[in-house]
Amino acid sequence: MPAAETALRRVEGWLFAPGDPRRLAAVRIGLCGLLAIRLASGPYAELATQPPALFRPISFLRLLDRMPSPEAVAALQALALAAAVLATVGLLTRVTLPLAWLAALPLVAMTSSLGKVVHNDVLLLLCLVPLLPSRAGAAWSLDARQRPVAARGPLFGWPVRTAMVVVAGAYFLSGLAKLLHAGPAWVAGGNLRWVLYAASDSQPQPNPFALFVADRPVLAHLVAAATLAVELGFPLVLWRPRLAWLFVPAALAMHAGIGLAMHLDYRVMAATVLVVLVDWPALADRFGPVPVEERP
Amino acid sequence: MRDQPAAAPTPAGPDDQHVPAPRWARWFVAAYLAVFVVCGVAGLEAWPLTGWRLFADARQARQPGFQAVTVDQAGHETPIPFRDLPIGYHGDVQVLKGFAGLPPDRQAAVCQAWAEAVRDRGGEVAEVRIYQTVTDVSRRVGDRGAPPARTLRFTCRPGSADAGG
Repeated sequence: MPAAETALRRVEGWLFAPGDPRRLAAVRIGLCGLLAIRLASGPYAELATQPPALFRPISFLRLLDRMPSPEAVAALQALALAAAVLATVGLLTRVTLPLAWLAALPLVAMTSSLGKVVHNDVLLLLCLVPLLPSRAGAAWSLDARQRPVAARGPLFGWPVRTAMVVVAGAYFLSGLAKLLHAGPAWVAGGNLRWVLYAASDSQPQPNPFALFVADRPVLAHLVAAATLAVELGFPLVLWRPRLAWLFVPAALAMHAGIGLAMHLDYRVMAATVLVVLVDWPALADRFGPVPVEERP
Repeated sequence: MRDQPAAAPTPAGPDDQHVPAPRWARWFVAAYLAVFVVCGVAGLEAWPLTGWRLFADARQARQPGFQAVTVDQAGHETPIPFRDLPIGYHGDVQVLKGFAGLPPDRQAAVCQAWAEAVRDRGGEVAEVRIYQTVTDVSRRVGDRGAPPARTLRFTCRPGSADAGG
C-alpha cells in the first residue's frame, strides 16, 4: 500500500473513531451558547440602517443592493437567537441547531459587508458545520431525557474531530498565508513594528502595549516568530493532544495581545478554540463530584 | 484537552462502538474539509469559507492610505471621526481605497452619507475632501507618528450638483 494511502487511512481511522456523546454535547453547548451571545449582542440592527452607498456586500449578500431592512433583521435575529438558545439546551436539536446556523448566516455576513472579512465569527460558524447533521443532542440535552442514555460510538466522534481539524487548520492556514504573501520578511523585516506603530497611531491615545513591542526591534522579531510558530505548529495538537496545553494558551495569549495592542476583538475566536479543543467531559470526570457509589 | 476515552465508565445504553460511521458522514466530512483547505491554501474568499489572510502582508514603514475630512464654511478642515460614527460607517478604509473606482453618482452618495452623519452630530459640512496620504510610521514624534504627506484627490459638495470627483 503506498505511503499516501496508508496516511489517508490513518487520518480516516482517527476522524471516524468512536467518540463520547458528552464531548459532542459539550461542543454543542459551548458553540451554540457562543452563537446565542453573539446574536443577542451583535450590531445587526445598527448595520441595517447603513446608507446604501456604504454597503460592500460579501458572498450571498451581493444579491442585495443594501443591508437587509431593519424589520427583516429583527425577525431573523429573533428566530436565530431563539433557535440558538434551544440548540444550547438541546431541545429539538436536529432542527434548532441547523435553523440557528442558517438564520445566523446572513446576520454575521452583514458584519463582514463593510469591506473586510471579520474572522472573529467565521471560526465559530465553520466549527458548527460538522455539528449540523450530527446527533449533537444525544447527551446533556433536553432531547436526551426522552430516550436511553447514548453510549460511546462512531456517530459521536467525527463531528468533534472535524471541528478540531477546522480550528487547527484555521491557525495553520493563517500562518501559511503569511509565508505565501510576505515570506520571511513577516518575521525578519520590520513588519510587526510598522503594524503596531500604525495601530497605535490610529487610536485616540498612544497604545502602551503596541509601543512597548514596536520600540524594541528584537522583541518585535521574537513576537513575530512566536506568532508564526504557534500558527504553523497548531495542527500538532491533532497528532499529540497533550500539546493543546501549549498551543491553546499560546493562541489565547496571541488574541489577548492583539486585543490589548490593536484593540481588535478576537474573543469569539478564542472562545471557540477553548470549546472545541478542551475535553470537557474528561475535565468533569476528573474534577467533578464523585458519584455516590464510588465514595469510600 | 485530550481526545481520549472518558475516564468514567460509559453510561449504560445501546452500544454501537463497532458500527462504522455512516457513509454519508465520510463524504460530508471529506467534501467539507476539502473546500475548507482549498479556500485556505488558494486564498479564496467564499464566505463563510475564507482564505485566512490575517495580517498576511508584510507592512513597510511608508504606508499609503487615505484621509477624508469635512470642510466648514470658513474653510476649516476636520477629519471625519469614523470610529465615533455608527458601525455602518466603519468600513471607511475600504471605501476610501476603492473610491476612485466608483462611478460618480456612487462617489456623490458616499460623500452625502458621510456629510449627513457628521451633520447629525452637529458638525457643519460645506465640502468633503479626500486626501491620498503616505505615512512613514518609523518617523516618530514622541509617542505619535509624524503627520502624513497629503495630496488632495477628490472634493465633493454634498447636496450640490458637482458632488462627485
